[in-house]
Amino acid sequence: MIPIPPETLARALAEFARIVGADNVWSGDTARTSYADAMAPRDPASYAPDAAVAPASTDEVQAIVRVAAELGVPLWPISRGKNFGYGGAAPHIPNVVMLDMVRMNRILECNVEMGYVVVEPGVSFDDLYHYLVDNDIPLWMSAPAHTWGSVLGNALERGVGYTPYGEHASKVCGMEVVTADGSLLRTGMGAMAGSQTWHGFPYGYGPSWDPAFMQSNFGVVTRMGLWLMPRPAQTLNLAMKLDRVEDLSPAIDVLRPLKLDGTVQANPSLGNVIRSLATRGPRSALWQGSGPMPADVLDAARQQAGVGHWNFGIRLFGDPDVNAINARKVRAAFAGKVQAEFEESEWTGGDLRGSGHPTPTLAALGVVDWLGGPGGHLTFSPVSAFSGAEAWKQYTLVRGMYEEAGFDYYGGFTAGQRYLNHITMILFNRNDQDMCDRANSLFTRLIEVGAQNGWGEYRTHTLFYDEVARSYDYNNGAMRRWNERVKDAVDPQGIIAPGKMGIWPRRYREAGE
Amino acid sequence: MRALVSLGLAASLALGAAAVAQDAPVPEPSDEALFVEKCGLCHLEGGFGTRVLSRRVPEGQALLQDREVLPAAFTTMVVRRGIGSMPQIRAAELGDAQLAAIARYLEAGQ
Repeated sequence: MIPIPPETLARALAEFARIVGADNVWSGDTARTSYADAMAPRDPASYAPDAAVAPASTDEVQAIVRVAAELGVPLWPISRGKNFGYGGAAPHIPNVVMLDMVRMNRILECNVEMGYVVVEPGVSFDDLYHYLVDNDIPLWMSAPAHTWGSVLGNALERGVGYTPYGEHASKVCGMEVVTADGSLLRTGMGAMAGSQTWHGFPYGYGPSWDPAFMQSNFGVVTRMGLWLMPRPAQTLNLAMKLDRVEDLSPAIDVLRPLKLDGTVQANPSLGNVIRSLATRGPRSALWQGSGPMPADVLDAARQQAGVGHWNFGIRLFGDPDVNAINARKVRAAFAGKVQAEFEESEWTGGDLRGSGHPTPTLAALGVVDWLGGPGGHLTFSPVSAFSGAEAWKQYTLVRGMYEEAGFDYYGGFTAGQRYLNHITMILFNRNDQDMCDRANSLFTRLIEVGAQNGWGEYRTHTLFYDEVARSYDYNNGAMRRWNERVKDAVDPQGIIAPGKMGIWPRRYREAGE
Repeated sequence: MRALVSLGLAASLALGAAAVAQDAPVPEPSDEALFVEKCGLCHLEGGFGTRVLSRRVPEGQALLQDREVLPAAFTTMVVRRGIGSMPQIRAAELGDAQLAAIARYLEAGQ
C-alpha cells in the first residue's frame, strides 16, 4: 500500500478541478461512498478510493494523466462502473483517484454500410440500444445479462453476450488510447493518419495492440470501434430443458461440433436450476432453512417452476431458409442423446422482445435478492474445455465446494467456439458476516483447486486479481513477469490502475505489494 | 462518396441519440421524464426494484410513484449510498440538480 501524501493529493485535485471544473472532482466520504463496491463480500471501505475526477473529453483525460504522471498520483480508470460481481466501480487498492469516464458518453460514429459503431467509455448498452432502435438502424448489438454497463468497458473486460457477436472482445476493432505520459495513440490501421480502415481491419502493421489494452493497465482507452451484426430476417430459437442433471455432458458433446462448424453461431448458455429460480424470487418462498437447498426440496421447486436442471436455447440468426436447415441439423444431432425435446419459437420482425436482440434490462440483478437482505455476489468464472467430461468434472467439483461451504451452486456454461465459460456466482447476504467470510474463503479455494486442475479464470473480482494472477504460473509466472516488464516500460511512474489483473508497477513491487 | 454518405448519416443520427447533445440546446426534461429516464429501468412496472420492493413495502406501494410518503431527503440518501440490493448512483452519472428534481417529484407524489 502506498498512500498518496495529503499535500500531493490536494495539489492534484486542485489541478484536476482546473481541468474539469470543481463540480466534477470528489474526495473524502463522497468519493469513498460513490465508488465503493455495491456487492462487496467484505468491508467496501477497505478498497474504496481517496478521490475521483470525471472528465468529459479525451483532451481532459490527457490533461489529467499528465498531472497524475507529474505528481505520481495513481489513477483508476472506469467506464461506467457497473461491473457487478467483479467489483462494480471499485478499484483494487484504496489509495487511488478514480478516473471516471461516465460523462464521455458519445456515440462518435455509426457506419451502417460497414457495420460498426465507435463509442466512448460512458456509452451504455441502453444508450446503444436506443440509438440503434430509435433510428431504425439495421444493425444488432450484443449485450451481457444487464444493460446498465459500458459497451466499451464490457468489451475490454472480455464480457460475453448471446448473439453471434457475443464474444465481445473479438468484435473490437481499433482504439484510441491515452498513454501514461498523456499522449494519444491509435491502434491498428488508426496508426496511419487518414486511414480509411481503422474500424474495418483489426491488425494494422506490426504487433497488434488492441488485445493488450484489454484487462490491462497499459493505457486508458477513450474510444473504441465495435463491429455490429446485420439485422437478421429471422431468429429461430430451439429451447431445451434438461430434467436429468447428468444430461449436461451429452448436451455439451453434441453442441461442440455444431459450434465448431458454424451451424450454431451464437453462444448458447446452459444455466442450472438455481439460475432459473433465482430470477423469479427469493429463496425463502421455496425453503426457509440455512445452507444449500436439499436435493429433494430443490427438485420439487424445479418441477413446480417448470424448469429443468439445465436450461438453454440454441438461437439461429439469419435467413429463414438457412435457419431451417440448421435447425434440422441441431435437432438431428440432439435426437436420442438427451432425454428432452426442443421447443421452437421464431421471430420475424417487430417488437424485439424474444428476438435474441438484447433489450434494456436490469432483471439479472434480481438474483442478488436470492437470500434476502442486502444481496451481494462474487463471480467465479473458470474456462472449461468444450467437452462433456471436462464440464461435468468442473461442475461436480465446483458445485461440491459451493455446497460444502453452505451455498447453493448458481452457474452455467456459455459456449464459445472452442471453449466454455463456466460462470458461477456465490450469492450472499451482505449483512451476514459469517456468510461473507465463507464466500471469501470459498472463492480463494476455488481459485486454488481450479489451478490444480488446470482451470484458469477468464475474468475476476477486483479483490482477487493477485490470487488469480498467481494461478497463471507457467515457468515461474512468466506471463505476469512479462506484463510487469511492459508495464514498467509504458508506465514508468506506475500511475494507471496499479495492480489491475495482478500487474504491479515497479514502485509498488518494491514497496512489497 | 459512399463513406461520406454513411458518415453524414451517422452525424445526423447522432443528434437524435440520448447520448449526444453537442449542438442545439436541448430543453430540460420534466421531473417525471427525468425519473422515467434515470430510474425507470428498475422502478417502473415489472422492474427489478419494483419486484424487490413489492416484498418489502405495504401493498400497492412498490412503485415509487405510488408511495404515500417518500421524503426527498430519503430518496437522496438512498440514491447516493445505495440500499438493500440497489447500488448507489454517483454524482458523475446523476448530478445533484437532477437528483433533487427526481426526489422532489417523488415527494410530491403523483
